[in-house]
Amino acid sequence: MSSTTDTRIQPGSTVLWDKGDAAGHDILGTRTFGFWLYMLTDAMVYAAFFAAFGVLAHNAGLNSKSVLAAVFNAQGAYRETIALFASVLAYGYAMVALKKGSRSGVAVGTVVALVLGLVFLGMVSGDMERLFGQGIVPQSNGFLSIVFTLIIYHALHIIVGAIWMLVMLAQMGRDGFTSNVVYRLINLRIFWHFQAVIWVFIFVFVYLQGKVI
Amino acid sequence: MTHSVDNPLHHPEVEQASFAGYLANFVITVVVMTAALWVVGDKSLSTLGFIGWTTLFAVVAVLVQAYFLLHMNWSKAQVWHTVAMLMFIPLFVVMIGLTAWMFHGLYERTMIAMPPHTMAAPMKRAAPAQAVPPVSQPVPAPKAM
Repeated sequence: MSSTTDTRIQPGSTVLWDKGDAAGHDILGTRTFGFWLYMLTDAMVYAAFFAAFGVLAHNAGLNSKSVLAAVFNAQGAYRETIALFASVLAYGYAMVALKKGSRSGVAVGTVVALVLGLVFLGMVSGDMERLFGQGIVPQSNGFLSIVFTLIIYHALHIIVGAIWMLVMLAQMGRDGFTSNVVYRLINLRIFWHFQAVIWVFIFVFVYLQGKVI
Repeated sequence: MTHSVDNPLHHPEVEQASFAGYLANFVITVVVMTAALWVVGDKSLSTLGFIGWTTLFAVVAVLVQAYFLLHMNWSKAQVWHTVAMLMFIPLFVVMIGLTAWMFHGLYERTMIAMPPHTMAAPMKRAAPAQAVPPVSQPVPAPKAM
């Protein structure tokens, strides 16, 4: 895709759509850009949830202080933050290995990222079990509903990312670094790293600021 | 987006990976998030100060991630990713900002006060309890004739 439009288009001679084989067309760049637009659209869903959180936080006081303290477990969320950031770093290492064409490097980075992602999921589900054990459940009130929705929606993304990593490990072993495998690895990088960005918002605006609003 | 290259591993989106960048991102974001957690324990801060500091740390972390992780830059391979992100930002602002503004106005006009006790758990909310008229007290019966 050319980004320069300085020259005037001559309708008689210009080919606007090349219907033949798309020579010179950047398949990888087109696919990552399409996936990036999907990622931003997914972020709009998060934006809707954060808007709902901002509205329903008005009713946070319906819960006792002990309930709020149990839900907004800042120390636990901090440990989850470190696990997720480390997983993102490991996948970054896989991307550097991809640049060098090292199959074993990509595999190691992906497996470490996968394990750390599962550690993150284990912490989140442990936290959920603890809350459910104390009778703190989403259906109690709107405020708890949106808090659980945000956390579970993010955890679902981590589950999808973990499955995606397993698929990529299999495809990489089967096909090597074909252009299909490479663009999927890049899209997984966009997806996985985006979850860390979203987590910053959840950690700060839900777990940390949730106590004082 | 750029023109195709024969070897996918030589594509600019593969070649932009940098371990130094990813490591710098990890170190900076962990430090910033640790600072945000540390602020939680600081009892000397006012609520507004606490929200201001933690929000500032979140903004720093997200900007660092946007640069190092999401590769938001003006290079030929990434410029449209960056432009798409910049065009989404007003949508996020409208989505969250307008919703918050609208409901803030709604609450101000419709809510008398927070209900003093609706949940079973005991509540210790000093400030609203003083502001709210004692709803729960029995209404004085009209004096008998």
